[in-house]
Amino acid sequence: MRTIALLGQPNSGKSTLFNALTGSHQHVGNWPGKTVERAEGFFTQGEELYRVVDLPGSYGLTANSAEEVVTRTYIEHGYADLVCIIVDAAQLERSLYMLADFAGVKSPVMLVLNMMDVAEQKGKKIDVEKIEKLLDIPVLGFTASDLEGYPKFFETLNRAIEKKATISSDKIRDIVEREGDKAGVANLKKLENLIANMKFGNREKFWMASKLLENDSLVRSEVETAVTPEHWNEIKEILDSEGTDGGLLTGEAKYRFVSEVLQDASSNDEKPVKLSRFDKIATHRIWGKFVAFFILVITLAMSMMIAVPIIMGCFGLQSVAEPYVVKMCESLGWWPSVASFVNSVVIGGLAVTVAMMGFVFAILVTFGLMEDTGYLARSSYVFDSWLSRLGLHGKAFMPLVSGLACTGGAVCGTRVLDTRGQRLFAMVLLWSIPCGSKVAVVLFLASVFFGSAAPLFGLIYVALIFASFWLSSKLFGNKLMPVKERVGMIMELPPYHKPHWKILMKTVARNVWAVFKKAILVIWVVSFIFWLVSYSKDGNVEHSVLYTIGNAIEPFTQIFGMRWQLFISYLGGVFSKEASLGVMSVVFASTNDAFSLVSRNAAGANLGEMMRAVVSLPEALAFIFASMFNIPCVLAMGTTYRETHSLKWLLTITGYYFAISLGLAFIVYHIALWLL
Amino acid sequence: MCLSEMKENQKGLIHKINGDSRFVSRVVSMGLPPSSQFLVLQNDGRSPILVYSHDTMIAINRKECSQIEVAIA
Repeated sequence: MRTIALLGQPNSGKSTLFNALTGSHQHVGNWPGKTVERAEGFFTQGEELYRVVDLPGSYGLTANSAEEVVTRTYIEHGYADLVCIIVDAAQLERSLYMLADFAGVKSPVMLVLNMMDVAEQKGKKIDVEKIEKLLDIPVLGFTASDLEGYPKFFETLNRAIEKKATISSDKIRDIVEREGDKAGVANLKKLENLIANMKFGNREKFWMASKLLENDSLVRSEVETAVTPEHWNEIKEILDSEGTDGGLLTGEAKYRFVSEVLQDASSNDEKPVKLSRFDKIATHRIWGKFVAFFILVITLAMSMMIAVPIIMGCFGLQSVAEPYVVKMCESLGWWPSVASFVNSVVIGGLAVTVAMMGFVFAILVTFGLMEDTGYLARSSYVFDSWLSRLGLHGKAFMPLVSGLACTGGAVCGTRVLDTRGQRLFAMVLLWSIPCGSKVAVVLFLASVFFGSAAPLFGLIYVALIFASFWLSSKLFGNKLMPVKERVGMIMELPPYHKPHWKILMKTVARNVWAVFKKAILVIWVVSFIFWLVSYSKDGNVEHSVLYTIGNAIEPFTQIFGMRWQLFISYLGGVFSKEASLGVMSVVFASTNDAFSLVSRNAAGANLGEMMRAVVSLPEALAFIFASMFNIPCVLAMGTTYRETHSLKWLLTITGYYFAISLGLAFIVYHIALWLL
Repeated sequence: MCLSEMKENQKGLIHKINGDSRFVSRVVSMGLPPSSQFLVLQNDGRSPILVYSHDTMIAINRKECSQIEVAIA
């Protein structure tokens, strides 16, 4: 098996290439001991099996964020048999910087100039053969979204594997010597001498020296342990005197190297650069925000239109199937409880999951489109000032707003964020953002108990959501997004592209399927537990395990102002928000067939009246406030588990929300007792 | 002068980048190394500044702009 590492800047089309190469043979997990997502996949070419490692996107090889450390470490130690550098042909100069930063690493390499079609449209002429000759490594010009171009890719790949060509840093070193300021060049030479005796492994001496000059923390600590203390002191002195000038010296040289390569190999008859009319509005301080909302809502609505018939069909099938199941069980002579189990748990769980997948699908399509077309960066640009207060990138805006539609789906949408810390933090925030059903349940309860004062609860809710953002950023912010790693917004606004429908849809379908597999498991397990504990032979809830447990824990739950019926309803809310109403109907009215009400998300007919009769106002308040920050639903738990790849994080977030919702209930209940 | 003082549609040259090495490496790798030419696409006095350099449109916060010394080209 051969290992290919994909190395490229963000927006270079790296993931398009990765998806097209590996299709469904992918595995996404975490890098060992790191909170960074690791994506690898497999494909076969001829007799050979290839492993493709999709390294986290990075603009260069200097390691600042956790993601960049992963990429950089993998590359510099030569863990891959071949490094495939992908650059955007439409932004050739900038994206070839990655190649220049790579030069000096002794791994075999091939270069892919992606998006040749866009470059052509922009009026760029690129002589691929000439670039290949100048760099002396296999170079391919192609378009990753065009599946017909792949035979050429494999042909270049084979060439690269046979040739084992590497890129040396000699030319860049020459440029530094020729063009750099004298003091800088002298310091560079001194550094080279001082580290001359250490082991360079897969890297050239100049590469190490220039990373030292750039004050790269990994190389600094490596050199510190490798050289004598006297040498290290000298090195430190040089670095201190250079300050940030060292990084500017080598940076400038790398760009010069790139433009020397491109001088004869690429020509531009580009029109003068101007902000397009659309971009003028899309990046406007005020209009840009409206445009972002508008585009988000429209795209979500359109993708929902595809999903809704599937959802409706699913619920339709559920009601058609149920009588059959009952009849079948009767004719087979099985207990009615088997039919109840199949209907409520197996079919009910399946229907709920498929329905929720509609949201996941819609959100993934929407975000895929926005990323693909390049619009996402514009929305991040206009919202960055808001989100940076929380420590988040402007990109988090879209997933956070989609949380209003569906928490579980939006959790999948956090994929647009670049670092895992940002993603985890966005998920923590998302659990506070109520989806439509949560709002409906909270307002329903508020109106049952407080009539026309219900809108007031809406206002308090909004204020509390911001309070919870604040609390979350205090508790998790600095751990997940260390302040010293935050750089104020310096962001690329990529050129607009046509969406690649085929690859987009394939990727979305694969992700929805992966989410579905995780979610259905979680939902079945949770429904089964609910079904089991609420089951009783005669249908009377007072004869179920639920009742026994509820009574046993009542002394504890009363601290939060919840008698056992309310607490069980609160737990039912973990299943889905509407389920908490279903549970209420069951536990307050002792209606028959308890679980079917829960799995259908139905409230009993006169739930409101019933509750008003038995539940006191402080209790009602406690329950309403607890519901606001209850776990969103099982699907959100399922997708959070799948997206974090970590049970620990799922449990942390779950525990956190139990704590704040019960804590809030506690406070509200005791204040209300005292006041009322 | 610093980058945020440039006007729309003005061309400039990057002169020096101040700040810690994280910031410098970020700006350089994004496409704004010293002595590169750029064009200011948008500067409305409040939102982040949009510049164009090395085939790339880059948005930079105003605060960060003050760390980038430029000259009009």
